[in-house]
Amino acid sequence: MPVTDKRAPGVRISDLSVVYRTGAGELPAVRGVDLELVPGTITGVVGESGSGKSTLALSMLNAVQPPGRIRSGSVDIDGLGDVVTLGGEDLRKTRGRHVGYVFQAAQNSLNPLKTIGKQLLDLGRSHEVDDLPGLVKEARSLLDRMGLDGARVLDSYQHELSGGMRQRVGIMLALVLNAHVVVLDEPTTALDMITQATILRIIREVHEERGLTTLVITHDLGVVAEIADRLAVMYGGRLVEQGPTREVLGAPRHPYTRGLLQAIPRLVGDIDEARALPGRPPTLGTIPPDGCVFRERCDVRMDVCETGEPPVLTIGPRIVACHTAAGEGEQKETVTTGPTRGEEQA
Amino acid sequence: MTLIGVPGRSGGIAVVRRLAGHLARGLVMILVVTTISFLIIRNIPGDPMAAKYEKLVEQGMSPEAAQQAVNVLYGFMPTGSMWEQYLDYMKGLARLDLGQSLTVPGTGVGTVLMSAAKWTLIPVLAGTLLSFLVGIILGVYAAIKRQGKLGDLLAISGSLLHGVPQYVLALLLGAIFTTLIPILPAGGTADIMFEPGFNAGYIGSLIQHATLPVVTYALASYGGWILAMKSSVVTVLGDDFILAAELRGMKRSIIFRYIARNAILPLFTILALSLGMLFGGAIFIERIFNYPGLGLMLIDSITGRDYALMGGAFLLITVAIIIANIAADLLYTVIDPRVRSGGEAA
Repeated sequence: MPVTDKRAPGVRISDLSVVYRTGAGELPAVRGVDLELVPGTITGVVGESGSGKSTLALSMLNAVQPPGRIRSGSVDIDGLGDVVTLGGEDLRKTRGRHVGYVFQAAQNSLNPLKTIGKQLLDLGRSHEVDDLPGLVKEARSLLDRMGLDGARVLDSYQHELSGGMRQRVGIMLALVLNAHVVVLDEPTTALDMITQATILRIIREVHEERGLTTLVITHDLGVVAEIADRLAVMYGGRLVEQGPTREVLGAPRHPYTRGLLQAIPRLVGDIDEARALPGRPPTLGTIPPDGCVFRERCDVRMDVCETGEPPVLTIGPRIVACHTAAGEGEQKETVTTGPTRGEEQA
Repeated sequence: MTLIGVPGRSGGIAVVRRLAGHLARGLVMILVVTTISFLIIRNIPGDPMAAKYEKLVEQGMSPEAAQQAVNVLYGFMPTGSMWEQYLDYMKGLARLDLGQSLTVPGTGVGTVLMSAAKWTLIPVLAGTLLSFLVGIILGVYAAIKRQGKLGDLLAISGSLLHGVPQYVLALLLGAIFTTLIPILPAGGTADIMFEPGFNAGYIGSLIQHATLPVVTYALASYGGWILAMKSSVVTVLGDDFILAAELRGMKRSIIFRYIARNAILPLFTILALSLGMLFGGAIFIERIFNYPGLGLMLIDSITGRDYALMGGAFLLITVAIIIANIAADLLYTVIDPRVRSGGEAA
């Protein structure tokens, strides 16, 4: 089932729950996540370490690693169907070919014993690419676009490349088979500021040029602010707020999003204005089973937060899951879809 | 965009320089080892000539006749201080003269070593390579299937065979195949009824006699290989680039090759060292199967206080291990690109 349509595919993640088997039973890392990736947009998912964002990213490829597993929900990609139900060869062929993935530790995502070019050919053979010289040419031009000497990089081993170069090689490998859904897990972590800016610019350019649907996972609000059209904030395995990036960052509705923004030190003004969020994010074992996952660190906590699951409210183009926002918007259960298509994009 | 070290270009010179360094270090090591072994050997209690003399006297020879006989037998009596003996020995070594054997009078140490070496090299080499091959292949399966019954079984077989001492295995196999089911000869190198030479009967008999030593040696070292390979594969399986390859939809066969090639690297050092150790012979196995290899020769030389032969045997082991180390190092420059470019891995 190849994507014949050249247009960017849409992706609908519905009610996705991923659990990890531990000594204390199966603990949820991702709980009831609904997220729509609008065709042709970049969606950013932000959250602290352990918020479940990488697990969410892996779910896009049905690649949650044991002892984790997708317990329920679906990841529906236009032209591919629900990848959660895919398995075996179908799943393998989807990965790389239709859904490109830029690995969290892209610096270590290459086989140290083979040149980049040979690994590229392995990739081509894995996906039955007949025109291998064409593939090499494509790879070279992608690398050239990203400011590298493509021919030379293809001739190199991983250890001969710097972190930023490897990261670009990782992006090249995710795009070279012409995948139209691309997942980038922490694409700029561990890179210096200048390299980070370059990589983000490249992602944005290639995204627009190729008409991709892109999901960027990061812990860095700055990254999201720079490239994402839409933003989803994840906490304790749940999406607590989502909407157009500028609106969410400009007027956050969830106390956690507000906390994240307040924690960023500014270049201008008083350094003390930056206030770290008190407490620590929950781990798999400490996510409360009932009530709001964020209540322990929340400064606007109410009694109902202890027991009641926050309602998922749709307020215009935005979705927020918080008791404090109750009454402002429509409850999710009453609407059938998340954000509607064709909405204003930041 | 600078590449750190370009493989292939300056590679030749680097290898030569490396080799020269190794050889210089090797010579120093040989000097140190020969000096130490000379001192130790000369200081162990017991004097072969005195022993022979006493034996002859016990057998009823007159003291004068016995002294005469010993002198005739060995052709010389060591005179001079330890220091002079040491200088004589070193001068001899410089001319590749290892001296005269005392237990096999009238024969040069070199000749004795050579004749013993052929009985060690072939069986132990065969046993090592056999166990290496079987061990690494099963080690990969033990790692991949480590959560299943097959993996447990393989790992247990490895621990068990690794834990059982060589001589127990040798005695056990000897008891089974020479006594319970007498299908193999109990000792020696070939049946005396066959004319040594290139004829079917002799060669068949050689193989028959070598079977038990080879199999015992292979079984005894198999456990080490399978356990080492298993742990190496498990480490590689946890490496990021394997997951990255899966997320790119690489074929299983290609991923398998990535795993195997990366996992086998550290084992080559062990293989090279055990090939070097091979010149120490398999003492217990050769003793039990009365196989006249280096191990048996070493025991005989020690019980016979054959200084020259002991010194020669130690020197042979030292040189073999040093050469094996150099070979392993050069091998790495071929199989591991990170070593090739001078180890400046980023």
